[in-house]
Amino acid sequence: MTTILGVPSAVLYGQLLLGLINGAFYAMLSLGLAVIFGMMNIVNFAHGAQYMIGAMGAWLLLNYLGVGYWWALILAPLIVGAISIVIEVLLLRRLYKLDHLYGMLLTFGLALMVQGAFSNWFGSSGQPYTIPQALMGGRNLGFMFLPNYRAWVIVTSVVICLGTWYVIERTKLGAYLRAATENPMLVQAFGIRVPRMITLTYGAGVALAALAGVLAAPVYQVSPLMGADLLIVVFAVVVIGGMGSIMGAIVTGFLVGIVEGLTKAFYPEASTTVVFVVMAVVLLIRPAGLFGSKLEAAQGQPQSGLSATAPSMRTQTLIFLALACCLAAAPLVVYPGFMMKAMIFALFACAFNLVAGYGRLVSFGHSMFLGSAGYVCGHAAKIWGLSPELAILAGTATAAMLGLVTGWLAIRRSGIYFAMVTLAFAQMVYFVALQARFTGGEDGLQAVPRGMLFGLIDLSQPANLYGFVLVIFLGGFFLIMRLVGSPFGRVLKAISDHDVRAQSLGFETNRYKLVAFVLSAALAGLAGSTKAIVSQLASLTDVHWSMSGEVLLMTFLGGVGTLYGPLVGAFIVVAMQNYLAAFGQWVTVIHGLIFVLCVLAFRRGIVGELIELWHRLRRTPPAASAALREVVVAPQE
Amino acid sequence: MTDGAVYALETRDLSREFGGFFAVNGVNFRLARNSMHAVIGPNGAGKTTLFNLLTKFLPPSAGMILHDGQDVTRLSMPAMAKRSVVRSFQISAVFAGLTVRENIELALLREHGLAWNLLGRIAHHRRVLERADALLERFGLTDYAGTMAGSLSYGRKRVLELATTLALEPSVLLLDEPMAGLGHEDIGRVTQLIREAGKGRTVLLVEHNMNVVAELADTITVMVRGEVLAQGSYAEVSSRADVMAAYTGQAHE
Repeated sequence: MTTILGVPSAVLYGQLLLGLINGAFYAMLSLGLAVIFGMMNIVNFAHGAQYMIGAMGAWLLLNYLGVGYWWALILAPLIVGAISIVIEVLLLRRLYKLDHLYGMLLTFGLALMVQGAFSNWFGSSGQPYTIPQALMGGRNLGFMFLPNYRAWVIVTSVVICLGTWYVIERTKLGAYLRAATENPMLVQAFGIRVPRMITLTYGAGVALAALAGVLAAPVYQVSPLMGADLLIVVFAVVVIGGMGSIMGAIVTGFLVGIVEGLTKAFYPEASTTVVFVVMAVVLLIRPAGLFGSKLEAAQGQPQSGLSATAPSMRTQTLIFLALACCLAAAPLVVYPGFMMKAMIFALFACAFNLVAGYGRLVSFGHSMFLGSAGYVCGHAAKIWGLSPELAILAGTATAAMLGLVTGWLAIRRSGIYFAMVTLAFAQMVYFVALQARFTGGEDGLQAVPRGMLFGLIDLSQPANLYGFVLVIFLGGFFLIMRLVGSPFGRVLKAISDHDVRAQSLGFETNRYKLVAFVLSAALAGLAGSTKAIVSQLASLTDVHWSMSGEVLLMTFLGGVGTLYGPLVGAFIVVAMQNYLAAFGQWVTVIHGLIFVLCVLAFRRGIVGELIELWHRLRRTPPAASAALREVVVAPQE
Repeated sequence: MTDGAVYALETRDLSREFGGFFAVNGVNFRLARNSMHAVIGPNGAGKTTLFNLLTKFLPPSAGMILHDGQDVTRLSMPAMAKRSVVRSFQISAVFAGLTVRENIELALLREHGLAWNLLGRIAHHRRVLERADALLERFGLTDYAGTMAGSLSYGRKRVLELATTLALEPSVLLLDEPMAGLGHEDIGRVTQLIREAGKGRTVLLVEHNMNVVAELADTITVMVRGEVLAQGSYAEVSSRADVMAAYTGQAHE
């Protein structure tokens, strides 16, 4: 048997083929994302869910209606495309003039709803889908065996990708599309109905995802979450390739697939993380992406927006003291376990808000700080036998270091790209946690000892533990309060308003953003470490992307950019989890629904709306329309 | 320093290319110290690009930029601000989510060593507050101190931007079309402010309003198609036939 660099050639070719297959799906999905983004400036977070509906749709058509593969290949994309057109008309259309992040949040909510509902109906286990009769079997190529269906997938996806490229780059319709991307007003003035074109583009982009889903059904297991993890890799592909170019999306998709395949052959342990490593390298060398234009990476559309006027210092101190008293007295009325959990999540959300609300850097990957700190703290307490304060310190420091590295790379991009980069890094951390030995894999780190705080206070006593969590929460919250009100906080707010202007005044804006990011990561790590001590468990849940989604939900529900918003949001979300636990996966659907409602109806969040109401009642001018990220994107020159 | 003089800003064969098109093409430009210098030219002449190169908003494709005789070609925008070279923006650039007062205080933070103060309060630093008060007074913004900058009128935003820029006490002040979008009354006011600001410092402005240029500038550079066509006083420049041709030619297009 021949070997290549120590790997049997059959294995190598097999992995290369698998890489090509994966690459085919990356290419089709990132292509759809690029088309939609180019036209609508929306990062379609529902793309993975729509891909899943395509696959599930094929499965449903076969099992319930007896409709076979070939018809499904046509019907599923049409149906999913039609549904998405309704979504565009009813929902997305309202967001075009707002910050691009809102589109990402809304589609994230939709994805949660769809995935939650499907998990509920069909369970989360995979369903097999048989290869159609005509494509069964395979052929021997001499150096390897090539199953017919795999060949079909690769050929079809290449044809579809190139076809899409041809339509956009070489036809009149494509010329209109590109023109409308550059200057919708002008194209509208030529008598072309741009809104309808946008709607159809979204429909087509989504149909492409559904088509990929049907193609994937016989290759992978059909399951409600099949699109979720795939989408994150596709985001990394998009960051690597740059979203500016159609051909770039296609080429990068296949390249990443092949790189993944090669890694699987030569160094299987790294196969799940290699994409993210490539992304980091690209960010380092060519921040705009391999095919991105240089200008696009530059930040600095002047944007107006956000930030509340801080209430006077005395008012703030009074509110803080009242809060401290309420939280201290709460165990008399409320179950202490709930309170501790809520306080930990509140600290996590407040830490997240420090960058998302005040720095306008909305991270989709904050779970990595919560989770990794939890693991390190748990490990330090359990294996190294450190006292709880030292274990927490170790966890917090780990999160801060992780924040330094990921932040240093991520702040090279802003807005939606920042969101995607952080999400991708978090996924990388997740895979590391899944595979590394010290994390306990699927089981997590269990039975983490609570220990003696400073060797004196026994944290296994419920009252002591509660007091400990209370002090950590209040300390963290106080620190954030001071940070936000400090000169540094002022600079941070100014940078989020108008980065370039801040630079022209002599502020090295990236340094400020990085410091804010590291502080936020450290505080999130403090929350994660405390969580590990309190729950005596560090598990994959805390590093999973859905945890990043939860902290986004808490913060946006409560009011991003307000001091108390994330706190309120955290308590509501934790309460929902506690009291709605019986509804199982439906909680995810409710979360998704809240996202959608927040984005459409109250972007200021609960606290933000209250502040606004207060100003309206007192007839004071709305303090910069208080607290919100009601950012209207400045027209491009 | 070829002729012994040191200029506030100087460019040597400075070029900037955008996809094959040279917006600024081999420009040798000198900004004398303590001068009030205007760059004019028809649309697309490369004025704004030159300006953006000088202020580090754009990196040059080729050539050199010197500040006080030192090579600053590779420096960043914040680094230039730290060398006391500060610019304003064409689309008025204020921090919309901060109050007028907070905008001005922001510009004072670095000088008072507070920019990296993570836990303190600006309210505790009397010197900053006093200087902010003085600036508000000087620019007629006292009544608007608590107003969110984003909700100011356009003219006042311009004034605030100027106040914020001057709060840094720059030695070289670069103004990108300070009159753009202003009404008649505001133009008079802002002209006056710029004249006052120009005392004891170097000012470079890109401006379309010829009345303002004639009134303010002691030196004028005319740019056409990415190159310097003429330089001199208003009288010298405006009497030249090629300058007139460049402008009227533009008008006929």
